[in-house]
Amino acid sequence: MRRCNGAARIALAGALALGGFAFAGAAGAAPVAEPLDRPATLVRQPERAAFQALAAAGGRLVAVGERGVIALSDDKGASWRQAKVPVSVTLTAVAFPTPTLGWAVGHYGVVLHSRDGGESWVKQLDGVAAARIIADSLPKDGPSHRIGQLVEEGPDKPFLDLFFPTADTGFIVGAFGLALRTDDGGKSWSSLTLALPNPDGLHLYAIRAGRGNAGDQTLYIAGEQGLLLRSDDGGHGFTRLSTPYRGSWFTAAVDASGALVLGGLRGNAFRSTDRGESWQPIELPAPVSVTAATSGSGRLLLANQAGQILMARDGATPVAPLPTPPLPTPTGLLDSGDGGLVVATLRGLWRVPQPNR
Amino acid sequence: MAVSPTVDPAEPQDLAAFDPQSGSRVERVLFNNRLIVVCLCLVMTLVLGWQASALRLNASFEKTIPRQHPFIAAYMEHQQDLRGLGNAVRIVVSNGGRSIYEAAYLDTLRQINDAVFLTPGVDRSFMKSLWTPNTRWIGVTEDGMDGGPVIPDGYDGSAASLGQLRVNVARSGEIGQIVALDGTSSALYVPLLSALPDGTPFDYAAFSQKLEEIRQRFERPGLTLHVTGFAKIVGDLIDGLREVLLFLAVAIVITTVCVLWFTRCVRSTALVVVSSMTAVVWQLGLLPTLGMALDPYSILVPFLVFAIGMSHGAQKMNGIMQDIGRGVHKYVAARLTFRRLFLAGLTALLADAVGFAVLLVIDIQVIRELAIAASLGVAVLIFTNLILLPILLSYTGVSAAAAARSLKTDNARQTTGVKHPVWAFLDRFTRREGAMVAVLGGVALAAVGLWGAEGLKIGDLDPGAPELRPDSRYNRDVAYINAHYGASSDVFAVMVETKGDGSCAGYEALRRLDALEWELRQLEGVETTNSLAQLNRDVLSGLNEANPKWGELIKNQAMLNFVTAGAPRGLYNEACTLLTLFVYLKDHKADTLDRVVARVERFAADNDTPDIRFRLAAGSAGIEAATNIVVKQAWRQMLYLVYGAVMLLSFVTFRSWRAVLVAVLPLMLTSVLAEALMVWLGMGVKVATLPVIALGVGIGVDYALYILSVTLAMMRAGMGLSEAYYRALIFTGKVVILTGVTLAAAVATWAFSDIKFQADMGILLAFMFLWNMVGALVLLPALAYLLLPGGASPATETSAATGKGTANNSMADKDTTANSMANGWTA
Repeated sequence: MRRCNGAARIALAGALALGGFAFAGAAGAAPVAEPLDRPATLVRQPERAAFQALAAAGGRLVAVGERGVIALSDDKGASWRQAKVPVSVTLTAVAFPTPTLGWAVGHYGVVLHSRDGGESWVKQLDGVAAARIIADSLPKDGPSHRIGQLVEEGPDKPFLDLFFPTADTGFIVGAFGLALRTDDGGKSWSSLTLALPNPDGLHLYAIRAGRGNAGDQTLYIAGEQGLLLRSDDGGHGFTRLSTPYRGSWFTAAVDASGALVLGGLRGNAFRSTDRGESWQPIELPAPVSVTAATSGSGRLLLANQAGQILMARDGATPVAPLPTPPLPTPTGLLDSGDGGLVVATLRGLWRVPQPNR
Repeated sequence: MAVSPTVDPAEPQDLAAFDPQSGSRVERVLFNNRLIVVCLCLVMTLVLGWQASALRLNASFEKTIPRQHPFIAAYMEHQQDLRGLGNAVRIVVSNGGRSIYEAAYLDTLRQINDAVFLTPGVDRSFMKSLWTPNTRWIGVTEDGMDGGPVIPDGYDGSAASLGQLRVNVARSGEIGQIVALDGTSSALYVPLLSALPDGTPFDYAAFSQKLEEIRQRFERPGLTLHVTGFAKIVGDLIDGLREVLLFLAVAIVITTVCVLWFTRCVRSTALVVVSSMTAVVWQLGLLPTLGMALDPYSILVPFLVFAIGMSHGAQKMNGIMQDIGRGVHKYVAARLTFRRLFLAGLTALLADAVGFAVLLVIDIQVIRELAIAASLGVAVLIFTNLILLPILLSYTGVSAAAAARSLKTDNARQTTGVKHPVWAFLDRFTRREGAMVAVLGGVALAAVGLWGAEGLKIGDLDPGAPELRPDSRYNRDVAYINAHYGASSDVFAVMVETKGDGSCAGYEALRRLDALEWELRQLEGVETTNSLAQLNRDVLSGLNEANPKWGELIKNQAMLNFVTAGAPRGLYNEACTLLTLFVYLKDHKADTLDRVVARVERFAADNDTPDIRFRLAAGSAGIEAATNIVVKQAWRQMLYLVYGAVMLLSFVTFRSWRAVLVAVLPLMLTSVLAEALMVWLGMGVKVATLPVIALGVGIGVDYALYILSVTLAMMRAGMGLSEAYYRALIFTGKVVILTGVTLAAAVATWAFSDIKFQADMGILLAFMFLWNMVGALVLLPALAYLLLPGGASPATETSAATGKGTANNSMADKDTTANSMANGWTA
């Protein structure tokens, strides 16, 4: 048995920290451009690409995934077509605060924006610009911050999730604790990184809003090594909460009652009904990572890396797998609104029958 | 050359009056020492027969490859770094629809693994199955990465260790590779060595037999083995060769029966068959003497030699029989026939030999060996059927009844003035209306043929192994594996060369590779791809606790170096100067391969830099693509050369370009129609079918040479076309029909062969035998009418118009040479 434990982790961080970049300039007639400058290739079967996330833009479904592929469906996931995208990087998350205005984030620090319900996209930000914003926010005379080293290295770090409460205000979070905020629909961004109590620069995998009473200003950010941050003031100040598991949280969901569910490594899932102060375990049938979660219509749905989709009634802890064939590495779940469930996976987009309501 | 009318007008008919010093020098040497010649041939037959017993049946993967093609050259250059890619078999062990995570199944799998591992010729270090230590899993824990062989430490068949195995397999990335998508079977990937450690070449027959033994030993109800790979195809083909020998025997029987029916003479029929068989024995004996083996592609050569031998032997025998029928002594008859037909026969055989030798220009070793074997066989026929046969006949003679019968139709016509209806029918084509009808018909057919041949495809058109029938065990195994495993067995590999040790991990190389990979995946027929770029995407995710969001090729050289260092060999080489992009294809149809080749070539043109080069091609599909390109190029080139050779020899024979056209145009029609037939039957031009048309031309020209040479000799002697053609029919035409029909019937039986390409060859050859015969009998006189000087001369027309009954008389009115010729031919 090869046990790398911390070694790989250190190597990864080290590699990213030390990564100097030197490459010979390319010659040739029309060589392929780098991913940030290369429009996404039109693919033969867009619905069979590797997808990372799903969102609804009004009645339309929008899925984002590998190499800049964004797929649109106007028939609840029965058929898909490809949107025009100016980059070829892996996109990790998508959100539509209104039926027409949407944002997507991904690798190489990219932020894309659509004003037409996902048909076409423009690049609002990339890793180079994001690094500058974050670097500028660092105290000039303070002690050398690890973030400071990381942002100097160019656009090699991904954004991993986003949340737009309105079409003006939005938050994006990513690797190594990177976080940005906009209040003008993405025209300008400010660094949120230093506002987060995350001195180790842990990866931030999920950002969710609390859904309690009207005017609820709660925000949750979940991430690596059991990290959970909460803001009570609409994303200005964050506090760190302790969670009952030291492994990473990959996904989160907040149900109608405001209960927070975290899903993570090796089948760990917990529910909190008191805004993250205390936790109840959710027993899952397999010790494999939870990669997607969604909540709505009075039930919670989780997907794990074994391809199972697990369901629990709100407030009830027993979960049961849906009788679906195993789906290869699900990454996103979305209620299609017509009794169906659309699942984004690394092997494409699938529509499965919704469990009885 | 030609059939020179050297027959002395006062040719003696009995032995005493015959001058042994007459005739050409060759004839004198041979016939005046005929016992020595017979003895020499007997010794040769014994020696070569003994040699033939050492003949091996084998096939080599390398020999079916066009070695000079740039794709193959690039592959050969990197062969050491691409080990296991070229030639491997996949053995899938299916648990009859049940999950493989059963102790009994895994135990059997281990035994199969061990048995295969120990089979000679297996490249053990690259062999892969659930039970080999190189099948590993990688996983994440709260503490980092974890990994190991998929079979857990201390595996004991218990439910716990089976469960652990299942978990390990799920995170090994081997689902669709080593384990079926539905989990009911697992595979052994078995790369093969091209030579054993002691230097002996890999023995496909022995390996295939070992696999069958393993299959026999372990298969049981509910557990089946499915085997695919070139070695298995060849093994099945070699098994099929035994069946081919049966077809050869059937062909010999059919041919013999037909000849016997034709001659009603056991003695002479036996001699023709024996001399043709002698040629086959010599040819088979010469192969091991020259260090060659018989492979599935050259298996038709012995039959061809036999067929051509029968054709020429029957001509000789027919001549001798007719002479004997006229009362000539058997020795004299043999010598006279030798005198008349040796040169025509020699020319025809040389045309065959040259026609086959033309295949040597094709840069594919199996076709070259087929060319050598066929040329050798035809050369051997010069001795056995042009020399030995007449000499043997000079001893044995023919049965008197048969001899008399052979002249019956001719005599009948002389006494009654009525031609045999077949000859009367064919005679029409020497006249205006008949000739026009035949030529216009030929032109129309050529037009139809050219239109039909438009759709001719290069390469294999069927899924699986096109050498075998779609419902063969092998192809059912292929279908099973393709259905249960994502990746197909049609692998196309692109080699990416980078400059400098360790340079293969460079971002510039990897991002280009990544872009090419993505472009290729959008092509129809591409199922999936794999490369170091893809691995980087997967491993980056793996390093981040297997979070799928990390799946990207990031622009961070230190990270790329780190991932590359831990990547398995195969995606890049030891020195890290070569990346391999594996493209898994749905099939190996020419269209699919062309699409991939075109896209990669375009990408390479745009993206090659001094330090990064994209080079085609390796893998079974890459090699097939190169083969297709070579075959496509060779196809026309071969036709030009074979026709060039045949035309040159015809010109040397006839000394008239008009006569060359008369002889060759019907063959061209046959070639065109054969291509249309291939389209209609769904056959592509490939290594197996490429030689057939060259062979068809070579054999077809025989007919034309025999008929036209006699016709021309008669016309030069002053006869009109109609009469000259009639003489040629009487003298050689009967045998042309005989051989055309019997050989076609004999090869047509191949249509029942289990080997698909043999069936294809049989159908094509039968068609070409028949159509060449029809062309020689119908088109040849019609073209002669139109093209030959004197073909449409009033003399002919008059002679014809005067009436059939007077033909003989009108002939007698012609000059004495013609008369003596007539005497010589018909007594």
